[in-house]
Amino acid sequence: MRRLALSLCAAMSVLATGCATRPPQDLSAFRSAAPRSILVVPAVNRSLDVDAPNYLLSTLSVPLAEKGYYVFPVNTAKVVLEQEGFYEGERIHQQPPADLARLFGADAVLYVTINRWDAQYALITTVVTVDFDYRIHAKDGTRIWQASQRMQYSPQANNAGHPLATLIAAAITAAMTRAAPNYLPLTRQANAQVFILGPDKLPPGPYAQ
Amino acid sequence: MKGSAVKSVLLAVLAGALVSGCATQRYQWGNYDEALYQSYKDPSKVESLRIRLEEHIAAMESGKQKVAPGLYAELGTLYLQSGQAPRAAQLYAKERDAWPESRNLMTALIGSIERRSAQAEVKP
Repeated sequence: MRRLALSLCAAMSVLATGCATRPPQDLSAFRSAAPRSILVVPAVNRSLDVDAPNYLLSTLSVPLAEKGYYVFPVNTAKVVLEQEGFYEGERIHQQPPADLARLFGADAVLYVTINRWDAQYALITTVVTVDFDYRIHAKDGTRIWQASQRMQYSPQANNAGHPLATLIAAAITAAMTRAAPNYLPLTRQANAQVFILGPDKLPPGPYAQ
Repeated sequence: MKGSAVKSVLLAVLAGALVSGCATQRYQWGNYDEALYQSYKDPSKVESLRIRLEEHIAAMESGKQKVAPGLYAELGTLYLQSGQAPRAAQLYAKERDAWPESRNLMTALIGSIERRSAQAEVKP
């Protein structure tokens, strides 16, 4: 059963990456920094949806903690930053990572930029898109990991009859309606892809060893 | 007929794995992420987030299970924001004791609560 789950995971990561052949990034800086804890700060928002950074924030703790890292409580961190006068992702991202890490006692800081968070409506089809850039800096300020992920979902699209592609659509259809697109399933998929499944996935953290 | 039943079970497993990101869960989260999302979407749901966390933590503690990283502190912050500072400090202390990585931040938060209550006492 475990084997089966593993091979399904493998099949899905191939599917999701579109059989990418790009070599995975060099993780030696990440491994030598060996962070135990990750501070997730509010995102920079390049989309038109003002709620996107908060919604995204709510999805980031679980995959990182499940990967074996201590993740600073995201809402608490947001409140602390607000008390320090930092409300906007833009301003927070302009702070030196080393300063943020010191303020919280964190080993690493995760920054996410939201490039897309939208639903495009045509006559018959709706295309929901999320697109994120992720980067992690160590407490000395050096960037030790980065990834980008775009996820699209089109309920009415004819997805070429590929059974797995059909399944991806089916798995998230339940959570989405044309009237009020729910971006969370796509966002969770994007996070899982970069942190857990994809070619640039994070090394396991201290609690996973 | 039998084949198609097997197939649909397989598909269901696959869909489940897809949604969960293939992770065998290390922690129980008690729907924390969903409740946090709801509270951002509709600030009147902050109270349900608080109740959710309270119940989940109580269940974990009575079952002698480790509470997932951050949950004590998130609940503490909700109490702090509703003016219940002593309860917040208790929860920050629990986070600090459960997760050594949180020590600096939790110590700072508890210190700030204690300073504020000391100031409140000196006031006439």
